[in-house]
Amino acid sequence: MNTKIMMIDDDPDFVAGIKSILEKADYSVDVAHNPKDGFQALQAGRYDLLLLDIMMGRGAEGVALARKIRKDPKLKEMPVLIITGLREQIAFLFPGQSVHPHFVETDELVEKPVEPKLLLEKVSSLLALAEEKKQKVPG
Amino acid sequence: MDIEMSFSEEIANVMYASHGNPITDCLQCGTCSGTCPAAEFMDHTPRTIIGLINAGYKDEVLASNTFWSCASCYHCTVRCPAGIDIADMMYALKRYSMWKGEHQEGLIGPVFAQSFVKMIVDSGRSYEPLLAPTYIFKNGPRGLVQEMQTATGLMLKGRLPLLPKKIKGLKKFRNMVRRIIPIGEPT
Repeated sequence: MNTKIMMIDDDPDFVAGIKSILEKADYSVDVAHNPKDGFQALQAGRYDLLLLDIMMGRGAEGVALARKIRKDPKLKEMPVLIITGLREQIAFLFPGQSVHPHFVETDELVEKPVEPKLLLEKVSSLLALAEEKKQKVPG
Repeated sequence: MDIEMSFSEEIANVMYASHGNPITDCLQCGTCSGTCPAAEFMDHTPRTIIGLINAGYKDEVLASNTFWSCASCYHCTVRCPAGIDIADMMYALKRYSMWKGEHQEGLIGPVFAQSFVKMIVDSGRSYEPLLAPTYIFKNGPRGLVQEMQTATGLMLKGRLPLLPKKIKGLKKFRNMVRRIIPIGEPT
């Protein structure tokens, strides 16, 4: 079965680049450009992984979306890869400090710009981890 | 094949949480421009800006000082017959132009906004003398003297503290900010 990835990011140029990298690696990618459309799509469809941007709408709204996903019984197990340019945009507030994930059960964070190789590595390791977890549950 | 996203759609995405109607509903009636108290300081009126966005003139919009001159009085939003939250659109354009790093040179707005946010996150409250350098030199020597006279007057009357004050429970406040912005130690 084809692995389905959802991507929520409001930067159309960045989305186009990442989408083509993932599609070349045989993943099927759906895109939403704001958190509202993204959450609706996640609820309507079935996705194996979410790529999530942080800075959208009025500010760090990707964080709010990640927290909403964590509370949703259907979505909380879904692995989330956060891809963010947060540091570039608001690092003046917190010089030299690290950006941290841990909003959902399984998540990881990479900062923009992303190396294609690193992206594919993270995607496949998160998918493998989720698969492993799924198989453990019934046993 | 992906269809390239229009500028109007990009702005709609940045404004996704707005309670108003989409800006493509604009009738170009000009009520916003007629009612705007800051229109005389803008190089394009609010009506023109909406028209330019809907027509895809991204460079013209980003190069304009319109949204940086907006005083956020919300008169346009209240009076818009198409129900567009125009003041929210002005904020969206500010965020968008800072995000893309494309705005007019020498504007007070972007630097002022950054200094203000940093000050609030650091101390929990506003302290005017720290904000002053972002605009105090913009109006020449006479403007500088005028600002200093006002500040001295305020200080003598005890309306302007000499040293910045911090709020009580600053640590808790910072933890709260870190819940919203995931930088620093996880809370």
